Amino acid sequence: MSFLGYRRSNGSVGTRNHVLVIPQGIIAKSICDFVVGTKMILTVDHGSGRTANDREQIARVLIGLGQNPNVASVLVHAASPGVGYPELRAERLADEIATSGKRVEVLDPAKDGGTYGAIVRGIQLGRQLVYEASKLRREAVGDEHLCVGVKCGYSDTTSGIAGNPAVGYLYDKIVGAGGTALFGETTEIIGAETALARRAATPEVAKALLDAVAHREALAKSTGLDIRTVNPVPSNIKGGISSLEEKSLGAIHKAGTAPIQGVLKYAERPTQKGLHFVDNWMGHLSIFAGYAAAGANLVLFQLGGGGVAGRTLLEGSPSVVAPFLWCTANPKTYATAQDSIDFYSGTVIEGTETPEEAGERLYRTVVDIASGTLSHSETLHYAEPIDMYLEEPRF
Amino acid sequence: MSARRALIMHPSDNVATAVEEIQPGEDVAIPELQRVIALRATEAIPFGFKIALEDIGRGETVRKYGEMIGKASAAIAKGALVHVHNLEGTRARGDLERSGER
Repeated sequence: MSFLGYRRSNGSVGTRNHVLVIPQGIIAKSICDFVVGTKMILTVDHGSGRTANDREQIARVLIGLGQNPNVASVLVHAASPGVGYPELRAERLADEIATSGKRVEVLDPAKDGGTYGAIVRGIQLGRQLVYEASKLRREAVGDEHLCVGVKCGYSDTTSGIAGNPAVGYLYDKIVGAGGTALFGETTEIIGAETALARRAATPEVAKALLDAVAHREALAKSTGLDIRTVNPVPSNIKGGISSLEEKSLGAIHKAGTAPIQGVLKYAERPTQKGLHFVDNWMGHLSIFAGYAAAGANLVLFQLGGGGVAGRTLLEGSPSVVAPFLWCTANPKTYATAQDSIDFYSGTVIEGTETPEEAGERLYRTVVDIASGTLSHSETLHYAEPIDMYLEEPRF
Repeated sequence: MSARRALIMHPSDNVATAVEEIQPGEDVAIPELQRVIALRATEAIPFGFKIALEDIGRGETVRKYGEMIGKASAAIAKGALVHVHNLEGTRARGDLERSGER
């Protein structure tokens, strides 16, 4: 099978064709307000007062988003408060993004006539870039060019029974076709790590996975808190999940059954195809930007219930450049939010579809959206701020 | 037997997940690979919540997906609701660490 994608000069394939403007700030916002087809990352963290490790993590997010196959070309400006750090210099970001073969332009208020001069030049350049990008046509490519990331959230017991298994089927299918699939949420594999470690492709991968869990569990214990007051979160408990272990054992179904090829850091790009575990945090305003920076050209949120009718489904663009799908297996969630849900697998609970049939339907939905059909969240011109996953203290 | 009302995830599980609202005293059918387990709910089991398939003593392991999801923090009778009031997770428990229980 195949989808219709944008082939890039380095051989990667995009499901979208954006021009990206980074980092955040008035220059990026002004360019994106004026020029159609542009995307920006909205986040409050510029890197000031951050440790070298965390600054490198921010750089990895920005560079990774720029290198994402869904991006045709990139504008980098040098007006961020963090730009004085070596990791976050505009030229450094631009040079690393350019290794992917894309056109990258740098805007510098010091050379372009101040902030407003840089905005004007950025609008002029941005118009050129989106015009240039629009000449590219989609072509049929194989599923080995799919790279997907998933999070399950507001989980309830429908997540483990029918929602995550449908995603697991999709993951097996993509990995089987030579594609790449990412899952993570280290806290949410506590209690399920032994089962996962058995699927590691090598003993080193098994050790890395168990080490990530041990580190996270030790941190949890060091708080002295009863984890049940934190996670499972109240909406999980309201939905019938009784313990972190139960949540984890349901959560891992979204990873299918393929061998785990590697354990990655947040926003780290895999060096090979296949299924990978990402040592990240569950927050959806954090995790999807990390997947996109790792190269995901499509991401999925597998939703349980938890009173989602209002706010949750209006949160847009947490994946910045990757199309974002909402999936659920909860009939009540689906009934209250059909206008935002891209895929429903409560059919498995209702007995009208097998998990395999639902998974196959999810795969076809993914191929459609990868080929250009909009996901429901893409119909909103709205972006929530990204909460980059940074673990070290600030000074 | 009427439509299924609860699902079992693994043959070794001692709880099943209700996929319909179950009222006290109702019979519950759990279709499995080889057999149908029948039991009677002793209390209301809401959609998505768990029902005990057998008596589970205090401190005994509660199993779902064929794995341990916690221990019974109180005796659980066959047909009873299994949730945070009678089941506790044992992982990542900072409170137990502090009190030296683990």
